[in-house]
Amino acid sequence: MTTAEAQVRPIPSEAGPGETRPPMELADLSVMIGGQGGDGTLTVSDLLGRYFRKRGLYVYTSRNVLSRIRGGHADASVRSSRDPIAAVKAQVDVLVAFDNEAVEMGKAELAPHGFVLYDSTTFHVDLPSSVGFPFATLVGGPLGQPIFKNTAAYGALSVLLGFDPTMTRAVIEERFRRRGGEALEKNLKALEIGRKAALDAPGVANRYSVADGDAHDLILTTGNQAVALGFVVGGGRFFAGYPITPATEIMEYLQRYLPAFDGVVRQAEDELAAINMVIGASYAGTRVMTSTSGPGLSLMTEGIGHAGAAEVPVVVADCQRVGPSTGQPTRHEQSDLSHLANLGHGEFPRFILAPATPEDAFSITVDALNLAERWRVPVILLLDQALCQNTTTSHRFDLGSVRVDRGKRLSPEATARLQQFKVYEFTEDGVSAVAPPGTPGVWSEVTGNEHDEWGHVSVNPSNRVRQMKKRMEKMVKARDELPHARFFGPPEAKIGFIGFGNTAGPILESMRLLEAKGVAARFLEARTLYPVPVHEIDPFLKDVDVAYVVEHNYTGQFARLLRETMPWHHAKLRSILKYDGYTFRAPQILAEVKEAA
Amino acid sequence: MVQSAKPVPPTWCPGCGDFGVLAAVKRAAAELKIPTHELVLVGGIGCSGSIHNFLEINGIHALHGRLLAQAVGVKLANPSLTVVAAGGDGDGYAIGMGHFMHAFKKNASILYLVMNNETYGLTKGQASPTSQIGFEGNVEPPFHSILTALSIPAPNFIARTFSGDPKGMTAILAEALRFNREGRGFAFIEDLSPCVTYNDTYKLWREKVLDVSKLPGYDPTDRKTMFRLCLETTEQGRIPIGVMHRPKEPGHDGLEVKLVGDRPGPVRTDIGLAANLPAYEKLLSGLS
Repeated sequence: MTTAEAQVRPIPSEAGPGETRPPMELADLSVMIGGQGGDGTLTVSDLLGRYFRKRGLYVYTSRNVLSRIRGGHADASVRSSRDPIAAVKAQVDVLVAFDNEAVEMGKAELAPHGFVLYDSTTFHVDLPSSVGFPFATLVGGPLGQPIFKNTAAYGALSVLLGFDPTMTRAVIEERFRRRGGEALEKNLKALEIGRKAALDAPGVANRYSVADGDAHDLILTTGNQAVALGFVVGGGRFFAGYPITPATEIMEYLQRYLPAFDGVVRQAEDELAAINMVIGASYAGTRVMTSTSGPGLSLMTEGIGHAGAAEVPVVVADCQRVGPSTGQPTRHEQSDLSHLANLGHGEFPRFILAPATPEDAFSITVDALNLAERWRVPVILLLDQALCQNTTTSHRFDLGSVRVDRGKRLSPEATARLQQFKVYEFTEDGVSAVAPPGTPGVWSEVTGNEHDEWGHVSVNPSNRVRQMKKRMEKMVKARDELPHARFFGPPEAKIGFIGFGNTAGPILESMRLLEAKGVAARFLEARTLYPVPVHEIDPFLKDVDVAYVVEHNYTGQFARLLRETMPWHHAKLRSILKYDGYTFRAPQILAEVKEAA
Repeated sequence: MVQSAKPVPPTWCPGCGDFGVLAAVKRAAAELKIPTHELVLVGGIGCSGSIHNFLEINGIHALHGRLLAQAVGVKLANPSLTVVAAGGDGDGYAIGMGHFMHAFKKNASILYLVMNNETYGLTKGQASPTSQIGFEGNVEPPFHSILTALSIPAPNFIARTFSGDPKGMTAILAEALRFNREGRGFAFIEDLSPCVTYNDTYKLWREKVLDVSKLPGYDPTDRKTMFRLCLETTEQGRIPIGVMHRPKEPGHDGLEVKLVGDRPGPVRTDIGLAANLPAYEKLLSGLS
């Protein structure tokens, strides 16, 4: 490799020729890697994430892929910061491009001090701050295959960003060790090829520097992995699902985790079967879950209604994506809430819980399993694509706070002491005790038809009214046991934000931007969305002058629920909405806050 | 003795073929000495699907067409239970067709009992997937469940019975339940169960049924032979009944969780935190 092979553009610099230019320190760095699907952009993102974690930095990675296996534009972004972050940065500091489309798409987001590092094998970039190396050609010769170009790009990037060479190499070893000797060896060679190219080119080495952080005992994980782990630890032992983006990883993780705990994971023939398999397993006495996304949720609606009527506990994780219909399978949205709040024909109770971070997804999944069994209702875990699939630094999941509450489940001994066993017995809290099939001496009938206390089909009008009240009043009686909202910001602030799920990260970041402008704001992060926690939201709304409800849909679905349940706050509620498939960047929220103008 | 739900009187029309099935289920369960608390019946939607209401039994009244998925869920969660899914031809072969085909593949050790009357009785006599051409304006050829079942290469027990022959039916039902309880896989029985009100076929079917075990070359362990015998019999205008497939080897059950004595199944595992803490800690320590 000689510098002549590198397509070096003049790099604007305050320093003159021959002078040493001090690196620009980036305390909050965003790198975007783009190319064709199959170019290995996600691997570069993964390698960077690992490096930043070693340096004690907070990390947030997101990906933008198409619903196809290979080809088509794909990009990934990695953000690292010394402060906690849970959102994509508004501007890109360094763009790594494997094709021209990545440059065309990414340059609008490039910061004024930004830089483009690209693979010049097949195209050329005409931007002042850019450097191209023919990575595919450089690795293709010595390694026999161009596929290692992504690792070479990581090597060049490590030089550009002033990475520690030993740690840069350690990341490669960590990532490829499991793949075996040859893969590791070739990737290490590709790393050195990339590093050498960058070191030999003028003005590239140490152009930037990334300061170390002190966030060390953290993990880097996704919401989907957190939900799978929460399910195992919460005592979940039966899962049935059907592959669907962006929910599939939950099933894949459980296929890996559950067998060691005598659990069963089955891929069903469709979502109709998946939800009905978990209903059967739940009736049999196991803690169950299924996971899906919009189109699958539509199919599962029938079964969730059955579980609601028959009072069979189920947990359904909905990893929301862009809808309606097939929508945009790989893109982010929060547009299933209205459907879920009104889900199914007829009326039955349901709890809708929404975690904001992987750490919270872990604990809310445990809560969901407990609540489903304690109250014998369907519980929906409302997730969104960004929470499900983006990786975030998170505190280690806390086993100390895990508790397994099986509600009114009867032991064989307790069952034997009963006079009679009525599966739908009227009780103070509306929950009837259950003994699973196989409990000696008793048997039970459950049905989606209206039924009497014994589970026999009934059209008696007074029984109908009592059974309806038994079921529906659970939504009132369970109130204090449902996950509580979290509050951020000074209590005296008069500007309020309300959000759930992935919007928490961008909202918190926009509050920091507001604070820098001297504007104080508060944030209510709702974790139970339905039944609407009026007891939490009403006092919050009383205290603020205006509340911005931030959500990813067209109609303001959560804001509509708030207006419906608290019409007296109608005038205070304003919606900040986004439904283009991308998550909020903090400045986009800020732009909608009139008080900050 | 704890009082559990008592059976209610059957809601079927006098003379309904389903009474024969009810009696056969009771007799087979008694013969195999299956305790009531270990027997689960998942009923579909339609007249036949209410059979669990008329028995002392654990039951789920499932959604229309979804009984097989629920029954498989019960069995995988607790393999020590004896699980029967029972419903009609509309439930199983129309709205439930997807689950029907996959049940053979899944090969969970449950019994699926279809009471075929070639009509939708409960909604007052519309054509069903098994109706003959001309019945209530039906223009589609009838679905043949046995030929379909034989076409799926899985080690299942497959049979057809006739409510007009209660003795033969009880024997086959008992064999199917034994097959399930030995953990050998999925058992499917289609019972020809006439609807006396909308499609009274007793006389016709009594004339047309043909016990395939009487035919030369009968060998239920040989799928090819049985497919040919069933097809030929049907083409001759007869209705083949009897055991249509009985797998040679026991324990083809690789698709299912192992039975009692090996692993207890999800229901019987201790899910408490204390019992699992070291394993959970190990699982979580894998994150970095």
